[in-house]
Amino acid sequence: MTYATFAWRNLTRRPVRTTLTAGGVALAVAVAVSLGGFNLGYRNAISGSIEQLGFQVMVMAKGCPYEAATLMLKGGTGLIYLPEDAHEQIRTDPDIAEITPIFIGIAEKQGFALDGSPAASSFAILTGVDTPSFLAMKPWLQLKTGRGYDGGRWFAPGATNEIVMGYEVAEYEQRKVGDTFYATIVPHGSVEPRQHAFTVVGVLERTGSQDDGTVFLPLHVAQQLFARDGELTIIGIKLREFNAIRMREFEGRWLKIPEVQVVSLEQVKGALVSLVGTAQTMVAAVALIAILVAVIGVVNSILMSVHERTGEIGVLKAVGANRAQIFRLVWFETLLICLAGAIPGSLFAAGAARLTDAALRAVLNIGVSQSLVRITPELLGIAILGAVILGLFAGIWPAGRAASLRPVAAIRSGE
Amino acid sequence: MNNQTLITGRNLHRHYQRGSETVRALDGVDIDVRAGESVCILGPSGSGKTTLINLLSALDAPTSGELIIGGRRVDGLAEHELVNIRRGLLGYVFQQFHLIPTLTVAENIALPLLFLGRRVDPADTQRVLEAVGLADRAGHRPNELSGGQMQRVAIGRALMIKPRVLIADEPTGNLDRATGEAIFDLFQTTVSEQGVALVLTTHNLALAERCDRTLTLADGKIVAP
Repeated sequence: MTYATFAWRNLTRRPVRTTLTAGGVALAVAVAVSLGGFNLGYRNAISGSIEQLGFQVMVMAKGCPYEAATLMLKGGTGLIYLPEDAHEQIRTDPDIAEITPIFIGIAEKQGFALDGSPAASSFAILTGVDTPSFLAMKPWLQLKTGRGYDGGRWFAPGATNEIVMGYEVAEYEQRKVGDTFYATIVPHGSVEPRQHAFTVVGVLERTGSQDDGTVFLPLHVAQQLFARDGELTIIGIKLREFNAIRMREFEGRWLKIPEVQVVSLEQVKGALVSLVGTAQTMVAAVALIAILVAVIGVVNSILMSVHERTGEIGVLKAVGANRAQIFRLVWFETLLICLAGAIPGSLFAAGAARLTDAALRAVLNIGVSQSLVRITPELLGIAILGAVILGLFAGIWPAGRAASLRPVAAIRSGE
Repeated sequence: MNNQTLITGRNLHRHYQRGSETVRALDGVDIDVRAGESVCILGPSGSGKTTLINLLSALDAPTSGELIIGGRRVDGLAEHELVNIRRGLLGYVFQQFHLIPTLTVAENIALPLLFLGRRVDPADTQRVLEAVGLADRAGHRPNELSGGQMQRVAIGRALMIKPRVLIADEPTGNLDRATGEAIFDLFQTTVSEQGVALVLTTHNLALAERCDRTLTLADGKIVAP
């Protein structure tokens, strides 16, 4: 027999109490692991989504960086525009490797998804792109093939009613190549909505990015439909060499254009991370409280156990146990109860990551398509190690109390 | 049997403070315990029997007086130092058995070895189980045993470390007459076969008469050697 098996036997003496205490630890660890997974997954998802944009720098009309961030990832709502000649000026910059002008507008769709999916809103993001420069920026974009999608292509020169649909929006709208897509647009300066019928000429393969939910059309067509000729929403730029110094130099050169801001990916990442920073802090506070409650529960449970076994601890001393051995025994009990909670708690959090992801998406309106919760073996290891360390601290008081019992008094109190 | 003195107590006092009153539980007791002898301590309740037993088993230290156990001075030692006197030298049997309910008979018997840091040899455990007549009960839990069987386990636990002194505080107090006799037989067998010294307290005069020596305590003093 070892101290661990002896300690485990002691814990099984009160199975309900032990289970409840370990359950408290499991809950706290599950919350902590989910929070850690969210931190990790969210940053990862933001990075992934931004990399899918294809550009490192964005030029847009001056506004708040949060709007810039959501604009890039979700299309935004309160759109502001910059003059198209800014694109003509900036494209001459020698540091630019690729540049593409983009126009984004919001249109009302004719109907909802045929399958009634709530994910399909009544609005569609229409993105006007300059096809050659846009595809140079995003060479990974592929047109879907197969039945109903064969013959897919980008817009013909001069076409005014052709669109290419992202994977998800095409799925929601049940559209294939050759189908018609109706959208209602309110042109700038008008209150009269106008319905347009577009022909779907291509559907994109899934990218896992914001492009999946976008309807693409030629840049100048989009500008005309929204009555914003000569205006752009953003200019996407890939620099030949991207670092903080180059970025600052580039920004310094082009901030001279009135009403224009130059935003780097890093700024956007920072803005997006800070968007959910408050929520993360609140969840962290809840996790911390859960951990504190669990630790108090463990201390209380072990103290009760020590109190109930006062006489028995006296007997152990009488048969040869010294202070350190009694301390070790009770410490083992604390450690085991923490492990008994931490391991299932971690596994539960890992197993429920998809549910957590769905719950977070329901609560937080975040414009990223990748999983928001990423639970790694390292994270699970840290959580279990953390629970062990907390268990070691939680065990000090009850173990010390048990170790300091005088055998005669302890045996007498237990009789 | 040899005549080596294992425990020597001279002018032992043990006083307790109860509020403003000083309780003299032991008041100048002299005692010697030699290897291979059985010593019975008699006396009415409150006479100081258990206090004396606690001192002799190094569970407690005297308020004053000289106490030597296994050649080491015990008086003046702190509680955490007394454990080093107890370990490996003294085996203790309680009136109320005090077995660990979550451990089997074999595990209860081997328990002291855990604290001595010794590996449990199953052959040793089997030998002790057979000595106390519980070879067929090794895997049972204490709640599956009778009172007499539980006391046999307690004796086995005390014997497992091969002690030089076996100390028993009213070991038959919770047993019926026949079972008490059987337990006492086991003690006597142990003393005669293993040369262990036995110190026990009892109210049972018939059992006391079977010991080599009897000391009678009253009001913390030995009144009859």
